[in-house]
Amino acid sequence: MDRDLRIVIAEDDPLLREGLALLLRAEGLDVVATAGTPDGILDAIDAHKPDVAILDVRMPPTHTDEGVRAAVEARRRRPDLAVLVLSAYVEQSFATDLLTGGVNGLGYLLKERVGRVEEFLDALHRVASGGTAIDPEVVAQLFTRSHQDIRLERLSPRERDVLALMAEGLGNGAIAQRLVVTDGAVHKHIRSIFAKLDLSPADQVDRRVAAVLRYLEDARRRA
Amino acid sequence: MAMQDNAADEWGAGLKDMAVRAMSAAGSAIGQLASGLGTALLALLVLVWLGVTAVTSLVGVGLLMVPAALSALHALAGRERARLARHGSEVFAPDPPPTRLRLALADSTTRRELRWVVRHATLGLLLGLLGVLLPVVAVRDTAFPLFWMLLPEDPTATSIGLGTATSWPDAFAATLLGVGWIAIILGLTPGMARLQAQPGRLFLAAGPDTDLSLRVAELTATRAAALDAHATELRRIERSLHDGTQNRLVTVTVLLGAARRQVARDPAGADELLERAQSAAEQALAELRTVSRSILPPVLADRGLAGALSGLAAECAVPCRTDVEAPERCAASVEATAYFVVAEALTNIAKHSGAGQAAVTVRARGGRLHLRIEDDGRGGAGGTSQAMGTGGEDGGSGLTGIRRRVAAHDGTLRVTSPPGGPTTLEVDLPCGS
Repeated sequence: MDRDLRIVIAEDDPLLREGLALLLRAEGLDVVATAGTPDGILDAIDAHKPDVAILDVRMPPTHTDEGVRAAVEARRRRPDLAVLVLSAYVEQSFATDLLTGGVNGLGYLLKERVGRVEEFLDALHRVASGGTAIDPEVVAQLFTRSHQDIRLERLSPRERDVLALMAEGLGNGAIAQRLVVTDGAVHKHIRSIFAKLDLSPADQVDRRVAAVLRYLEDARRRA
Repeated sequence: MAMQDNAADEWGAGLKDMAVRAMSAAGSAIGQLASGLGTALLALLVLVWLGVTAVTSLVGVGLLMVPAALSALHALAGRERARLARHGSEVFAPDPPPTRLRLALADSTTRRELRWVVRHATLGLLLGLLGVLLPVVAVRDTAFPLFWMLLPEDPTATSIGLGTATSWPDAFAATLLGVGWIAIILGLTPGMARLQAQPGRLFLAAGPDTDLSLRVAELTATRAAALDAHATELRRIERSLHDGTQNRLVTVTVLLGAARRQVARDPAGADELLERAQSAAEQALAELRTVSRSILPPVLADRGLAGALSGLAAECAVPCRTDVEAPERCAASVEATAYFVVAEALTNIAKHSGAGQAAVTVRARGGRLHLRIEDDGRGGAGGTSQAMGTGGEDGGSGLTGIRRRVAAHDGTLRVTSPPGGPTTLEVDLPCGS
């Protein structure tokens, strides 16, 4: 884990912005700039070349999806920039907007997850090193929404748990830890999931992402 | 026996009831006739003016007066419509009629107004005069025995000029006449008031051949404004919950998370973080309180409009007097609007006016809630005498917010605030159901 992550934060609420910066600095991370507007953060990204940008979804002027649009724009300018979007509530369209541009180095979390510092730092580092971090709430919504998906119904409850954690961006080891099972058992579940979701055994990473994206795509079609 | 007594009691109560009803009907009829007399006198003036204009137009000079005379006619018709609406159902106005001669000659609204003005200036005037005179002669004749001795020799006994009173029996005979007048008042004035109003109701309402498109457009616009205002209101609430309260609570969890990590490293340093977390939690509570109060102030439900407003006045930095006479409760949303208008206005007064004192007057009458907020400050608030205008940038968001809330209820706002003061805010709201 890289302890010298350079981070920029975009959050329009000054108190929260300060709180976030305080937390990350206390953890030895390098918060190089903060901003309260989409333009401000894009400038800061250009100026400071950070590793990760943490963005609030709702920012001035309209307080709707400025953060998502800023994230998409920032990734267009610098495709290798890791982006972690924080949202006050789960909005499917935000998640799909973000993820259609590629899932590597992307995170979408509810704001309050920041309080669970260890897990948040985990997600932050995962995103910074090119991984994915999707909020459990987003994943849960996908599952309820795509409940009528025949392919999903083929999954056992345990396999669903595993897929949910995969969608959050956890690796096999972390999933085994969370579910208190062995790595081997997780492997078995994942193989079974891939088979039931008709994912051919090509590249392992691609199949993981594809399994998650299948739900995102499905949810978007239904929305 | 007892049953007979009961029957007699009931009969008496019924009679009393009837008398009260007849008296209040006659009272309002006389008021209506008197107010009709006012417009009838104006109608006579307008009629004479129109006559003079018509005659002089034959030699050309009068043509110059035509637009002004027609404007006067239209203005008077509008006034009569408003008067009739106060005493009964609304008289829907047709589209504004033209004032140019050629157009007016062909305009059915103008022709109908002319037919009305002739009737109102004659029959309406006569009925109005009777309506005012009848109570006067009734009082004079009924009370005649009280003062006849003070009159000079050989006084005329009655108000209609007949008979003389030289003895007490003669004087009491005059009283009998007075009682007769009262009977006539009770029996006839309601009919007279209806008769006086009839031409106006017939000719001033939009005729079958005029279209009500203007009225429909107006209603559509206010309805759209109401829906808009509700949407704006919901967005405002949603935003203050998300961007205010929720962010405070997120800050709390972030700071608590940081504090827990700090405890593991260096417990002494955690206290400051906890302190900040606590104050963020307190802020969240305060914001939540503000938001929920802005949806519907609990004080309105607990203490009614009068209590809620006197609470606002007591909190106001400028000494403020309240005078609320609203015996009937209005719709909750209307009362909430009244409350916010007063709250916003008092905040403005405290912030900007430099006033020494303020006063809030509230009256609920005839299904309307009327608010009046005055201060003796320096004035110049958001332009002068705007009724439902769009301007007022310099008056700040306060007035704009008030205007928006009032418009949502199809109400009117009038701001009078000349430079140097004083400032008066008048708001008129329908009570709603």
